[in-house]
Amino acid sequence: MSETYDFLFKFLVIGNAGTGKSCLLHQFIEKRFKDDSNHTIGVEFGSKIINVVNKYVKLQIWDTAGQERFRSVTRSYYRGAAGALLVYDITSRETYNALTNWLTDARMLASQNIVIILCGNKKDLDADREVTFLEASRFAQENELMFLETSALTGENVEEAFIQCARKILNKIESGELDPERMGSGIQYGDAALRQLRSPRRGQAESAQECGC
Amino acid sequence: METEKNGNITQVHQNNSTKAKGSVDSYGFEKPDGYESYEEMMTEYLAVLTRRSAKWSKLMKGKVKVENNLKVKRYVRKGVPNEHRAQIWMAASGAQAQMEKNPGYYQSLLGMDQQRDPKLEETVRTDMHRTFPDNVHFRNSSETCLQNVLYNVLLAYGCHNPSVGYCQGMNFIAGYLIIITKNEEKSFWLMDALIGRILPDYYTPAMLGLKTDQEVLGELVRVKVPAVWQAMAQHDVMWTLVVSRWFICLYIDVLPVETVLRIWDCLFYEGSKILFRVALTLIRHHQAELLQATSMPELCERFKLITQGAFTNDCHTFMQEIFKEPGSLSMGTVTKLRETCRGRILAEEVSVSP
Repeated sequence: MSETYDFLFKFLVIGNAGTGKSCLLHQFIEKRFKDDSNHTIGVEFGSKIINVVNKYVKLQIWDTAGQERFRSVTRSYYRGAAGALLVYDITSRETYNALTNWLTDARMLASQNIVIILCGNKKDLDADREVTFLEASRFAQENELMFLETSALTGENVEEAFIQCARKILNKIESGELDPERMGSGIQYGDAALRQLRSPRRGQAESAQECGC
Repeated sequence: METEKNGNITQVHQNNSTKAKGSVDSYGFEKPDGYESYEEMMTEYLAVLTRRSAKWSKLMKGKVKVENNLKVKRYVRKGVPNEHRAQIWMAASGAQAQMEKNPGYYQSLLGMDQQRDPKLEETVRTDMHRTFPDNVHFRNSSETCLQNVLYNVLLAYGCHNPSVGYCQGMNFIAGYLIIITKNEEKSFWLMDALIGRILPDYYTPAMLGLKTDQEVLGELVRVKVPAVWQAMAQHDVMWTLVVSRWFICLYIDVLPVETVLRIWDCLFYEGSKILFRVALTLIRHHQAELLQATSMPELCERFKLITQGAFTNDCHTFMQEIFKEPGSLSMGTVTKLRETCRGRILAEEVSVSP
């Protein structure tokens, strides 16, 4: 394949049903709002290469079904995710109340180090708001999450959410807090990075990753 | 939505023989890309339908029940024409008998306003505008909008079977049943037949039946298409990633409408084993394409691609293939595999939970 990138990050989009997860993903990838689709069953994939702090990062995004009972199936998708968008709907307190459960799942099943950005979606529906910005931002702080209010309809903060999350992961790689070569980190080197970084030892690590074990 | 006393949905739509207008097919779905080749196929298929239709009319003359014999089985596998479909599904699945045994039951479920679970109502409502927005009959803007009918059927089913309630996927199934039967009450009883008797427990909160069947398919592929099984293992792809939709939606939105309906003909008459035949045929027929994948995402993508194209569009040939391509598949084998896989999953779940 001809795409070149420095890193590949596995991302999850999680949160209750009807919060707009698929619409966020669609807005991010296609730059338009799409609300005429069936809801997601199981998992859908999207990917996009973004440029963050002079690195090309390919995001491989797993968009999951939100209904509670699907969680027992979708949990198996979490393994090895580097980042996640945790989505609630600012017009639905119920979706906000469910955040703790989603968070527990993500940290337990993906990785303790998973970088999560909380997204209060449907920002455009301010008149129907049930969750204040302040309240959610406190929750984010307490749980060490980044936080943005987004609108998949207008596109506001959508790209920003993905980029902020990716940037934080890159920072953690640079500071040594995250080791891309650790199993299940959700991070892989891309071709471009390999060309710069490849040393005999790195070469070995990469081939070990390719076999998928 | 207006419903007549007998539950028939009024005002609703053209049957298969009238030409669909403009950009939608005869069921009201927007025509997908590549519809021209589909239409070409349909022109030929129409001759088949006409022939089958005459045979079915003769077979069913003066009868309400569908007999259980080899002739009928052969007829079902060759396809039930649309004008007989509702009747055959109702009779073959036992839905007709249940409906007759329980007159007024469906209406009474809709009448129990006070005891209704508000959470059930909310969950069903969340999916109303996300069920077939590509179908003119399910759009809000449509005069004949079937969203209320869909809502009623799902809500009634949730009250009828609280251990299932509502699970996403059931909305698509109910939608198809409504399109075919054009009748709320019949759609409800067909849901009851499918979820209560024909399918394993796909839709309960634990979704154990679904998890089991995903693994059963894996085991069948291991034996029947070992190269693909190996590729799945090599790229570390869990079966749930590629087939959960196939099973949960009974191939709706996975395969073309006409093909889904032909599969359902057999599903109602022969049972859930047919779902494996379809999956195995798709996988075996396209194994060369699947084996070209060099990564996990690519393999997942290819699993999507193999559901499209001429092979699945041509429903008549496809249905012949599913009884040839995967080879023999006895109910005994399926039952045994289901037991083994279910046991394995339960054991794993016990060891994982704290």
